[in-house]
Amino acid sequence: MSDVWVFVENSSGDIPAVALEASGAARGVADELDGSLVGIVFGEDVDDVAEKALEYGLDEVLGADDESLATFRVEAAGPLLAELAADREPAAIIIGGSTRGKDLAAWTAAQLGAGIVTDAIELEVDDETIVVTRPVYAGKLLAKAKVTDGIQIITLRSRAFPKAEAGDGDGDAEWVDAVKDEDEIPTKVSSFEGRGNEVSLTDASIIVSGGRGVGGPEGFTPVKDLADVLGGAMGASRAAVDAGWVPYEHQVGQTGKTVAPDLYIANGISGAIQHQAGMRSSKIIVAVNKDADAPIFKLAHYGIVGDLFKVLPALTAEFKDRLGK
Amino acid sequence: MKVVVCTKQTPSTTAVFSVNDGTVSWEDPGGKPNIVNPWDEYAIEEAILLKENHGASDAIALTFGAPDATDALKTCLAMGCTEAVLVSDDSLTGSDEVGTARILAAALNKIGDVKIALFGKQAIEGDTGLTPVMTAQKLGWTPLTYVSAIKEISDDSITVERLLDDGKETVTAALPVVISVVKEINAPRYPSFMGIRKANRAKIPSWSAADLEIDGEVGAEASKTAWFDTSTIPVREGEVEIIDGDSVEEQAEALVEKLFEEKVI
Repeated sequence: MSDVWVFVENSSGDIPAVALEASGAARGVADELDGSLVGIVFGEDVDDVAEKALEYGLDEVLGADDESLATFRVEAAGPLLAELAADREPAAIIIGGSTRGKDLAAWTAAQLGAGIVTDAIELEVDDETIVVTRPVYAGKLLAKAKVTDGIQIITLRSRAFPKAEAGDGDGDAEWVDAVKDEDEIPTKVSSFEGRGNEVSLTDASIIVSGGRGVGGPEGFTPVKDLADVLGGAMGASRAAVDAGWVPYEHQVGQTGKTVAPDLYIANGISGAIQHQAGMRSSKIIVAVNKDADAPIFKLAHYGIVGDLFKVLPALTAEFKDRLGK
Repeated sequence: MKVVVCTKQTPSTTAVFSVNDGTVSWEDPGGKPNIVNPWDEYAIEEAILLKENHGASDAIALTFGAPDATDALKTCLAMGCTEAVLVSDDSLTGSDEVGTARILAAALNKIGDVKIALFGKQAIEGDTGLTPVMTAQKLGWTPLTYVSAIKEISDDSITVERLLDDGKETVTAALPVVISVVKEINAPRYPSFMGIRKANRAKIPSWSAADLEIDGEVGAEASKTAWFDTSTIPVREGEVEIIDGDSVEEQAEALVEKLFEEKVI
């Protein structure tokens, strides 16, 4: 079989960006392999998700609708995907690199004894095999890798591939049973506290970050103001997180998040190699720093040498003006 | 109840890489080219805390790697781990991700009576983050990834908070479990002077493939992935354009104009 499967992650009826990017990437691979693109939809009451997935260019949906799949748990979803794959032998399974997607990919590969390549930023098909380009050593090097035998399981970096575009969907959904009963699943989720409308760093198209130069927790106020007016996410360097100025979930860098927004504005960040590792794939980098010799200016496309406490409010005001906010 | 922390030796975060004929090498300006994977420091700390505060009998550090990975294990001992074990064997070198999980699962089974195996969320050279879940799957244990707090432990169950992309999840699972931790979980301690002395005297056992009862294929021959064409990232062409102006407002206006032209707003 030369079918390509793509995991359609979903929550509360929505398909997040990571799954749309995976669908877009997988479409190209399926076309090159001359196979069908099959969306894998797991959850409870996910008829609508399947419909939506088909509108995003998937040829078919293979789904399971069960109470045990309502909240994603890898011990429920993993065995199901692995058994379906063992039975139907797709050429490849492509999964977006979210926290849930990575868990699912790992479980499925382990259960199948399959080869896996993670963190793809480019995919090419060469003689039925998918060649993956991915960053290694914290983004300091690039490498190519491929699965040499059996089902090819591949996870993707966030924002490395364009999202699938919505159109007319005329494919069908096939529904199968879950393979684990609730009493066979050893984990129980007791609560979930969502991030609300806050933009997550890995999904954000614009990130405004602060570092040691913001001087303290209150120094993040102008950083956040600019992020808000741009509809972006707030990031931070390790120095700022370790000082306790902002929570760890904002950290960009080698021991934080790896991000690739369209625009990354680094404020008071010197640009240590570990920070660069997390943001160097950003399309446009702007640096605001009072030290003209800061290494961040070697990476930046545009820079302002100056006091961020004056520059940021001026930028925020100018953007408000231009964006009519 | 034994707790094991699975750790890995990696290039330092400040390492400078070069590639010659496909072979990757690195040097470190600070003179310490290899370190304990930084993500693992949080797992090591949590293992020691489980011993100090939750009655774990042992906090054992386990590494699969080259013979010189004993350096990483010595750091674990110096921080406060009670024992260290190295798995190292030429026949295991070149294992793929599933192979590595089979090796770690066999080593955890050989240690025996382990209730919690801790990992850092990923290792900084491959950044795959696959090994915790894969090892759990091979052991038949429950994987709990991206754990930011251990809330409660009883004789047979554990409740943790997980930090996911879109929020925080509280989940309870039956022991034994494999846990991968994120940085929010604790503040790793520094090795103590006494700890370093003790670690330097420690004899670290090295287990070969023959010492382990590995279920399934391992080593380079069994690997289902191939790597090629490793290269350094091309240096960005062009220089930074510094935006000057008579006033900060003028600078802001000029920069905003550029960003609209770049179509990134």
